[in-house]
Amino acid sequence: MSADLVVTGRGVVCAAGIGTAAMTAALADGARPAPDVTALYSDAMPQPTGYALVDFDVRALLGRKGTTFLDRATGLALVAFGEALAEAGLVIDDESRTRVGIALGTTVGSLRSSADYSLETLVADRPYLVNPALFPNTVMNCASGQAAIRYGLRGVNSTVATGRVGFLGALGYAANVLRRGYASAMLVGAVEEFTPHTAWTHHRLRRPGQPGEAAAVFVLEPRANAVRAGRRVLAELAAIEEGYHPGDDPAERGALLAGCLSGVLAEAGAEPGQVQFAATTEAWNADDELIGRAAVAALPSARPVRVRDALGDCGAAAGALQFAALLDAGGRGTGVLAGWSPEGAFGAAVLRGRDRAEVA
Amino acid sequence: MSGPDGRGTRRVAVTGLGPVSNIGTGVREFGSGLRAGLVGYSKIRSFDPTGFPHAYAGEVPDFDPGPTLRRLEAGRWGRSGQFAAVAARLAVEDAGIAIDRRDARRVAVVMGTTSGESRLVDQLAAQAVAAGGYAGFDTNELTKLPAARLANAASEELGAAGLSVTLATACSASNYAIGYGFDLVAVGAADVVIAGGADSVCRWAHAGFYRLGALSEDRCSPFDRDRTGILTAEGGVALTLEAMDRAHARGARVYAEVFGYGLNCDARHMVTPNADSIAECMRLAHANAGVKPQEIDYICAHGTGTAINDQAEAQAVRQVFGANPPPMSSIKSMLGHTMGAASGFGAVAAVLAIAEGFLPPTANWSIPDPRFDWLDPVPNQSRPATVRVAQNNGFAFGGNNCITVFGALP
Amino acid sequence: MIETSVQKEDLREIVAEVLEVDTDELTDTDDFVEVYEADSLRAIEILARIEKKYKVEIPQSELAKMLNLDAVCEVVARYVGT
Repeated sequence: MSADLVVTGRGVVCAAGIGTAAMTAALADGARPAPDVTALYSDAMPQPTGYALVDFDVRALLGRKGTTFLDRATGLALVAFGEALAEAGLVIDDESRTRVGIALGTTVGSLRSSADYSLETLVADRPYLVNPALFPNTVMNCASGQAAIRYGLRGVNSTVATGRVGFLGALGYAANVLRRGYASAMLVGAVEEFTPHTAWTHHRLRRPGQPGEAAAVFVLEPRANAVRAGRRVLAELAAIEEGYHPGDDPAERGALLAGCLSGVLAEAGAEPGQVQFAATTEAWNADDELIGRAAVAALPSARPVRVRDALGDCGAAAGALQFAALLDAGGRGTGVLAGWSPEGAFGAAVLRGRDRAEVA
Repeated sequence: MSGPDGRGTRRVAVTGLGPVSNIGTGVREFGSGLRAGLVGYSKIRSFDPTGFPHAYAGEVPDFDPGPTLRRLEAGRWGRSGQFAAVAARLAVEDAGIAIDRRDARRVAVVMGTTSGESRLVDQLAAQAVAAGGYAGFDTNELTKLPAARLANAASEELGAAGLSVTLATACSASNYAIGYGFDLVAVGAADVVIAGGADSVCRWAHAGFYRLGALSEDRCSPFDRDRTGILTAEGGVALTLEAMDRAHARGARVYAEVFGYGLNCDARHMVTPNADSIAECMRLAHANAGVKPQEIDYICAHGTGTAINDQAEAQAVRQVFGANPPPMSSIKSMLGHTMGAASGFGAVAAVLAIAEGFLPPTANWSIPDPRFDWLDPVPNQSRPATVRVAQNNGFAFGGNNCITVFGALP
Repeated sequence: MIETSVQKEDLREIVAEVLEVDTDELTDTDDFVEVYEADSLRAIEILARIEKKYKVEIPQSELAKMLNLDAVCEVVARYVGT
């Protein structure tokens, strides 16, 4: 990748808690029982447990001002943005605020916000007696817009709605922005909230595991900027590529993804045998299993990186959690992140751990 | 590798246009609609507006994707996805491109949206009400819901195997898509990008805009002193962006060149636009496109028709262009506010202004706003003009501004 | 008298919640925008909550007058009646 992009900060919020350490500890346990969520909502839930951050209190974390009307996804994302900025030590001032951008992955934004808005038009005395202050929450770019307001970020601001490959889509978008010089640093991540709406979606679509929620955000910037500012390099984004597979033959899709992986590895100058960690989309069904196996068949020494058994099915944010886990596990080696959506979008990225990244 | 000049290493041509709108589908119909100042909104039919004091919207009447689609099984996709797929098919046909398996990897799709499959959200809400809980959500709607499927529908329809990304940056999203597409072609990541956007009229957005006091009763009159707001609208739109040398090599008709774009974020308020920030976005767009304000012959406005947007937009134009700004019209006066598709329709209008030499009008305009009485909104009637460079504005909730710049071939 | 004062305290609660301050921080006369950083969206939210609570319709043109709590009470009294 010509722009030579590195990761210098991360902010992770998930069912295990706030901060990378909480996630790391949860993943070390392998599987972890899902917390009791019965106190979270008054609505009927498909099951009493789910991978929610049950005690998440946005007001306690961010203060009262500007938090009263936030939806849950936005609240989670705001905390993750703050953590990522803090870890990188990236200071937002009048000089930097137009040069630090956002690319945030999502599936549909906050489904609770839009669906309940619609629902309110059906049950209120009059259909227009909806809450004006909640209307901004119904747009899918709410979290990135609110993050811009809270942290004073006036640069590029994009919401990438690529669903299950939400994080890879955002990562590709951010890499392009940096490559083109539209920003000096990008906060790139993805978010998914846990609500009755997402829990029922998960249940009705018969997805395996339990629904979860997470926001994970990373500081991505050209190496030269990081070095100049003395920021610690956590890893290097050595290559990323995306594509789409029209049609629905899983074998064909698996072969395409394997090809995509060997392509990004070649671009990164890495041999398939060097890949120590592989994070691939955690399967929803038999087709996914097949695609996943085909994708990593040519990576003999890659250890799988999974997050669902410990942190739930986090939709668009799943890839972001896997990326955080790769930063952790693959700190001293080469890791790949590969994902695909049920429709056929796919992508793969190569992450080179900090020891290699620092000498590169 | 290009610097912030944004023009990149390859020039980017617009070789195809695919509008699916309430004033016409396909470039010919849409273009003559613009010239005629057609108004495409009417009494709402897609949902029961009983109880709403205002009941107008810009629906695409009798939209039937069937006859246009070649590959996509329309029934498996939501209305916005269908809009995107039809628009993409029309844009590719208009460009005269055949996508075969050999070059499919070099064809990408980027679609913008505000609310994705918003009509499915209405249906899910109705199911929840009927069942007395979210257990009533139906798998059919849930499966079709992800906004990613707007771009995916287009990729599927075209058999395109390059990246397929939906950008959900609200009402400037099509400009974001065009910008991203421009970059992908410029840096060589793709040879052809189908870029645009789609949205559908829905009940909840109608209610929300009404509640904000931003919804007009039955007409949209941007830049008029007595303007009363937006009308929600829908549609799909796509532009075929293609490497200039490839377009020339195959003898394609080139409507215009994409010069570049600028984007920034207000970072001040979720729904109130900021004139200074918009002005800054214009300067960014000009710098990235390598043009000076005085070179711009036409501005296709964001022009929603709300008091506050039009005032902020006019003020920003004054800041950047000084005493003699170019004409600036709003096609939302004709289409209503097509949300994520809006700046895509604006881009088509800007490109047609260049290619066919006319300025689209601002319909419903009668009284100048004393705060910007210097503005030429191209009132009510299109007019012939030589347009060498056109600027297309897109602003959004979340403060997401994106402005694209198109130019005539030398 | 008691009724109007109760109503005022109800309104104070509504406004304070929307402006994200404690009820005892919200004075009768301080300007919502100047002192409490209100904006047009919050102003409309206040109006909407009042409409919902008292089941009345207050035109948005009244927003321009609703600059502080006393002014809100005045406007609401005209529509809620006694």
